[in-house]
Amino acid sequence: MSSTPVRAMARSPFVLVVGVVLTWFIAAFLVWPNVNVLIATFFPDGNFSGRAAEKLFSSQRAMKALGNSFLLAVALSITVNAVGIFIVLVTHYFRIRGSRILFLGYATTFIYGGIVLAAGYKFIYGDKGIATSLLLKVFPGMNPAWFSGFFAVLVVMTFATTTNHMLFVANALKSVDYQTIEAAKNLGASTWTILRRIVLPMLKPTLFAVTILSFLTGLGALSAPQVLGGRDFQTITPMILTFTNSPTSRDLAALLAVILGLATVLMLAVMTRLEKGGTYFSVSKVSSELQKQDIQNPVANVAVHVVAYLLFAVYTLPVVLIVLYSFADGAAIQTGQLSLANLTFDNYVRVLTEQSGLRPFLVSVVYSALAALIAVGGLLFVARLLQKYRNWVASAFEYLLHIPWILPSALLALGLIISYDHPNPLVGGAVLTGTTVILLIAFVTVKIPFTLRMLKASFASVNSSLEEAAAIMGAKTLYVFRRILLPLVLPAAAAITALNFNSLLDDYDTAIFLAHPLVQPLGLVIKANTDGAEGTEGIANTFVYTVLLMLITGITMYLVYGRAGRRSGRKRMPAVPGTGGTLAGEVPPASATSVFGEDSKVPAVPAR
Amino acid sequence: MSLIVRKFQSLVAATVAATLLAGCGGGTTSPAASGEASSAPAGGSGETLVVYTNSNGEGRGEWLTAKAAEAGFKIEIVGAGGADATNKLIAEKNNPIADVAFGLNNMYFSQIKAEDVLEPYEPSWAGEVDKELADGETYWPLVKQAILLGYNSDKFSKDAAPKDWTDLWTKDEFKDRYERVTGLGTATAQLVFAGILSRYRDDSGDLGISDEGWKQVEQYFQNGSPAVAKTDLFARIQSGEVDMGQMPSSIIAEREKSFNVNVETVIPSVGVPLAVEQIALVKGTDKKEQAQKFIDWFGSAEVQGEFAKQFNSMPVNKEAASQANPEVVDFFADLKQQDIDWDFVQENMGAWVEKIELEYMT
Repeated sequence: MSSTPVRAMARSPFVLVVGVVLTWFIAAFLVWPNVNVLIATFFPDGNFSGRAAEKLFSSQRAMKALGNSFLLAVALSITVNAVGIFIVLVTHYFRIRGSRILFLGYATTFIYGGIVLAAGYKFIYGDKGIATSLLLKVFPGMNPAWFSGFFAVLVVMTFATTTNHMLFVANALKSVDYQTIEAAKNLGASTWTILRRIVLPMLKPTLFAVTILSFLTGLGALSAPQVLGGRDFQTITPMILTFTNSPTSRDLAALLAVILGLATVLMLAVMTRLEKGGTYFSVSKVSSELQKQDIQNPVANVAVHVVAYLLFAVYTLPVVLIVLYSFADGAAIQTGQLSLANLTFDNYVRVLTEQSGLRPFLVSVVYSALAALIAVGGLLFVARLLQKYRNWVASAFEYLLHIPWILPSALLALGLIISYDHPNPLVGGAVLTGTTVILLIAFVTVKIPFTLRMLKASFASVNSSLEEAAAIMGAKTLYVFRRILLPLVLPAAAAITALNFNSLLDDYDTAIFLAHPLVQPLGLVIKANTDGAEGTEGIANTFVYTVLLMLITGITMYLVYGRAGRRSGRKRMPAVPGTGGTLAGEVPPASATSVFGEDSKVPAVPAR
Repeated sequence: MSLIVRKFQSLVAATVAATLLAGCGGGTTSPAASGEASSAPAGGSGETLVVYTNSNGEGRGEWLTAKAAEAGFKIEIVGAGGADATNKLIAEKNNPIADVAFGLNNMYFSQIKAEDVLEPYEPSWAGEVDKELADGETYWPLVKQAILLGYNSDKFSKDAAPKDWTDLWTKDEFKDRYERVTGLGTATAQLVFAGILSRYRDDSGDLGISDEGWKQVEQYFQNGSPAVAKTDLFARIQSGEVDMGQMPSSIIAEREKSFNVNVETVIPSVGVPLAVEQIALVKGTDKKEQAQKFIDWFGSAEVQGEFAKQFNSMPVNKEAASQANPEVVDFFADLKQQDIDWDFVQENMGAWVEKIELEYMT
């Protein structure tokens, strides 16, 4: 894991080939288009204009909104970790009654988000919400608009963004070696000490990665502040979007985006530094599967149960209401008056009998699936190399691959258009605008940073001695990659693919500029039916599309987790001989890996 | 030593896999890639006309596609908001994908024209429309829309209601009772400000507007109730949160019914700003003749009349007006149009939006 000299790295043909492909991809699709768009923005007539900075820094509103975004980013990094680690422990580490049900409740964030999620919380805690009316009966004097501003935004966004914890931290937790925990127990360590000194340190790479994501989510917060922020807590993203759309103000948008981007890079650097030098895999010769822990202290046990079920209610209520409201008419949705008698299928009939029909759904499914698979497939090797080799070249590549996090997707799309609307040697003299490929390229690029972060974190918990041991026992190298490395990171890779897929399904910002006119994805249709004149149908359609998307994403998660879970569950029975890990050392590499592979699989099925 | 060899071997193994995958990824950059990604480039497929519009919502797009098919035009509508469609047309000017654009208002089209994206064309119905409503060269008017201040008429009598936008922040009874925008991204909001700021034109003032004018903007934002995302103004009027706000004329009747509220509109003495939706031919289209025929067809009195009847709009085409909803026609007949210098507005709107967003929105 120590740093590798660049020259040694360049001696490997594998590194060279990946390096060449990667260099071309980065140059053609990450650097060139964005340099073009930034030049067009900051040097409109060939001369640099410092006007953007001057305008922004003298604007009280911009500075306050920027401050709010940073405040939210920092606060979220803390709160999401707190809630996220808690729900992961409750569902995967402690023995809690009904943890399977709890998991399903906490997993609702996998399948929805955005403006409808914020609206869902407003139905409950807003001034006309259900919880608020109940509270008003108990405390008649309270302010009905209590759920607004920074506090409300932070609460909603915290609960909305624990997805990464549930997927990746839970996954990492499963590869914690149980023998270490048992040893600590025998030495008299308390539950708390074991958690703090053994379990959490092993999760560090994943926690660092998800912390960066939480930070980024906070910086880019859009819909929750718009719905719940009120006058006092508005963030910078709405302003960036307005300015992106106005050619004369695009420099302000780009500057703001670059400021947020630099903050992200800084965060990235800090986390990379913290991550360095640690050992995040089990060093014991024979590791065994994690088993669920009892909470010894009865008071703590009851308290944890109560909090777990309270959180369950917080997570599931908005979803239930969104589904119910999707059957109500638009006026009822906006005025918050739900009566069961008025629920009809009208909204669904209207949406599903449109002329465009199911075609946009199919187009989006194909595009998202292709993009998700290409991003994860390609980056599997890149992430492995970046994790293995630590030197300035690798770092440079790593930072370059984060470019899509810096600019808003509308600017990325504009960059691709102005770079590839004429024959360009970077892509073999082809013109890409007006083809179906350009949107796929954009979809792949926007998913690179997230994919890379999470893959790299999951490679960090792979014990390199496994690979060496297998090789010593005579396993062929391809075999080692396929049977040892791949199974270990496959659960994480599958989760990343699923999340990428889900998040691209309803993309609008990129598709609006790049979609082929005859192959229009769902986002454009959703926008046409929900936006502009908001009216009553528009709002109702938003809810219907959200529920339909929940179905698709729910099915995706089921295919990735549910089925894999059952299959491995069946296989696991004979494969893992009870507590007896002692034999594992003598088992040939193949079966050893299958045991490892399943260890770290499937959050959907709680360990026995 | 052996360790290094093994590492090397494992890398070779991975190389093979990586090359395969990289080949996959790289392959997708050529237009002839897999499955979905293999259909023809835009414009190359038969005689399908690609039409950009922001006026495709609420069933308009489907209606138009079907009607056009009856008339023998195969069209594909690409819907996008006004600003998005404008940016898209400008970004694609070196290799245009659209053949025709319509629905955007005169402000957007003058911006697009300034970027040299439009091809001059005089439609067959040019004589049936008021040329003053467009540039008389590249884009041509289809539909008129009034940008109005509406109020809850159950709460305010005509005498007690505001007489002009400026009353909202100068009279105490309207303070905090009107909805103000939280962003200037929409055409309606921009037109409201075009209407207000135009009255305070002062070439020595900041961005062509006097200090008095900017004070009005400041007051507008200080005294209004901020709009709530995804909550319609009419929903807020119904719940009593606010009593008035901006609204385009075409939506009022439908919203009154949906939300069960009664709304009357204010006609200030200076008149109201009109947004005029236009149609234009995109420069560089390889289906120019077909696109011109489509424009001739769509803007004709017959089609505009049917469109107006279907969607309660006010056609610019004088002969089409007879088919439109009589209430709508009467409303526009009595309406005093505000005299706005659109060249001045177009030239400055970007800078105005920026200044308002940065300095006055709180």
